[in-house]
Amino acid sequence: MNHLDSVPVKEEEVKVIVNPKVFLVSRQSVKEFLIEKGLFLFTILSSILIFFVFIFVAKEAWPVLKANGLAFVYTGGWDQDFYRAWVATAKEPSWRFGALPLISGTIFTTLGALCFTVPLGLGCAIFLVEVCPPWFFKPVESTVRLLSAIPSVIYGLVGLLVVVPWIDRHLVTNEMALRMAKVAALDGTSLLAGILVLGMMIVPIFVALAADALRVVPKVYKEGSLALGVSHWRTIIKIMLPGAKKGIIAGAILATGRAIGEAIALSMVSGSVANIPNPGHGLVFFLEPLRTLASTVVDNAEGMGVPTCESALFACGAFLLVSCVILSFFARWVARTQKQGGS
Amino acid sequence: MVCFAIVIYLFIKGIGAIDWAFLTQDPQPSLREELSGGILAPMVGTILLTAVGIIVAFPWALATATYLAEYAEDNFFFGALRLGIDVLAGVPTIVYAIFGLAIFSLPELAFFSSMVEGVAEGKAFGRSFLVSGITMAVMVLPFVIKSCEEAIKAVPQTFREAAFALGVSKWRTISRVILPAARPGIITGTILGIGRIAGDTAIVWLCLGGSMNLTGPQPWWYPQNWGATLQNAGSTLTTFIYYSSPAGEGNSPNKAFGAGLVLIIIILILNTLVDYIGSIGKLKEE
Repeated sequence: MNHLDSVPVKEEEVKVIVNPKVFLVSRQSVKEFLIEKGLFLFTILSSILIFFVFIFVAKEAWPVLKANGLAFVYTGGWDQDFYRAWVATAKEPSWRFGALPLISGTIFTTLGALCFTVPLGLGCAIFLVEVCPPWFFKPVESTVRLLSAIPSVIYGLVGLLVVVPWIDRHLVTNEMALRMAKVAALDGTSLLAGILVLGMMIVPIFVALAADALRVVPKVYKEGSLALGVSHWRTIIKIMLPGAKKGIIAGAILATGRAIGEAIALSMVSGSVANIPNPGHGLVFFLEPLRTLASTVVDNAEGMGVPTCESALFACGAFLLVSCVILSFFARWVARTQKQGGS
Repeated sequence: MVCFAIVIYLFIKGIGAIDWAFLTQDPQPSLREELSGGILAPMVGTILLTAVGIIVAFPWALATATYLAEYAEDNFFFGALRLGIDVLAGVPTIVYAIFGLAIFSLPELAFFSSMVEGVAEGKAFGRSFLVSGITMAVMVLPFVIKSCEEAIKAVPQTFREAAFALGVSKWRTISRVILPAARPGIITGTILGIGRIAGDTAIVWLCLGGSMNLTGPQPWWYPQNWGATLQNAGSTLTTFIYYSSPAGEGNSPNKAFGAGLVLIIIILILNTLVDYIGSIGKLKEE
């Protein structure tokens, strides 16, 4: 078909040819009509489903959000609240929930993982595209792709059996644990373990996308810069990275989305205690256990039968959903501004 | 490439746990590692769940993608729908999990799982292969729609023009020309969807129940028990890993590593399939 593809077709000609109604006879047109409407029905069903997910989560989350108002965001004590709601009688349910520890946990782990991922991933992507010898490229690339497809529970398993004991043995001292005993038990399950495991998990996604973005930077840019006598590294930093900015940011956004929503791996390695790590504690900050919004839903899933707990879990889900919507809009906005900038 | 070490480590740890008995025995409730059985039931669970999920999701996604790519006009409604698909493709699976559990706990939908006995107002159990399969389908639906739509849109315009010029009707063009031409892309999207289902933990943990064995009438492989098995709970490799690790209650890390290796091998096979189909597509174009 190659020679056909290469024949330039003018726009007007296309429109004349692509008018199927000219050729239809009546029995066929009934069938065509039915099929089109059938497919339309499926589409409508999908759209109903998609909007239903949003509406359902919002509806279920509403009671708790209404009962707590903004306090849901800025008060702590989730574990006690949850226990109170769990043991409360049906006649006087306890609606008070404070999700500050969960929200801060989500933010800490995600930001931490990003700080860890972006430099490492960028270095990796630059190495893959610019430095790596061709024979080495293929196996590395397929490994990166495989790693981005590995289920998160496996990262959780490795984290729990390798990273957590390592932190417990080498970083947590007895004196430290004694000092922190009132706040939380330091046993290796910690913010640091969460950041490391989460970072490991999102690095492959970021590398794959950033490498793709670097590869589509027009060759002329690089050649022009090199021809002007600019050194290779300076070209990479000053020409290649700005040229690939859009794709790199898109990769970072995707990685953030995955980090925010990660449930199982973090519930395994980060301690599952609704605790706010206190930066005032110095470096111990990184060794304190915490819990994120997503892993809360996994850990507290047994509360689903109790209306108050169920609503509180849906409130967590609603927060996740909203953050995803924001990230998605942000991604679209980045794509659009870059297009207008004509990079 | 520190990440590569993870795979190697897992391979070394996992290979010791895998033998014939490990693959063909059901898990046993025991705290002692050597008595805790194998992973037959979780493997069956993974296959069952993936099958249910993709059977529900695939035709639906393909129909929607075909409509969006070939029929839909560029108006506000479809713009909103595309945006919704985009957003939902990135939503964490845990959100789908509570969504599915809450929906299928409604007593009206009890035929998907079973009724909880001894509760006055009536509530469905809301955990079964059907429930989690359908939830999985909802989870992968936006993703599969997106990749199918892209595959259909990537079919060269000349194909359509040639078919129309021959007087072929629109549906016949789609079913005989465009869909076959887009097949590699569609299959790739579907396999990636299967990988997502097989690798997901959150939905399984919430919607399939916490039991390790299939809870339907035994033995589950008799044809008359198939329907009941689908209505009952079980486990998959991912929940088996979670359960057997020190985070769960099983505390048999070596079994977990073994199951992890099996899961990775499954994912590897799927990845190779994707690569293979991609290379076929390229050959055809040439």
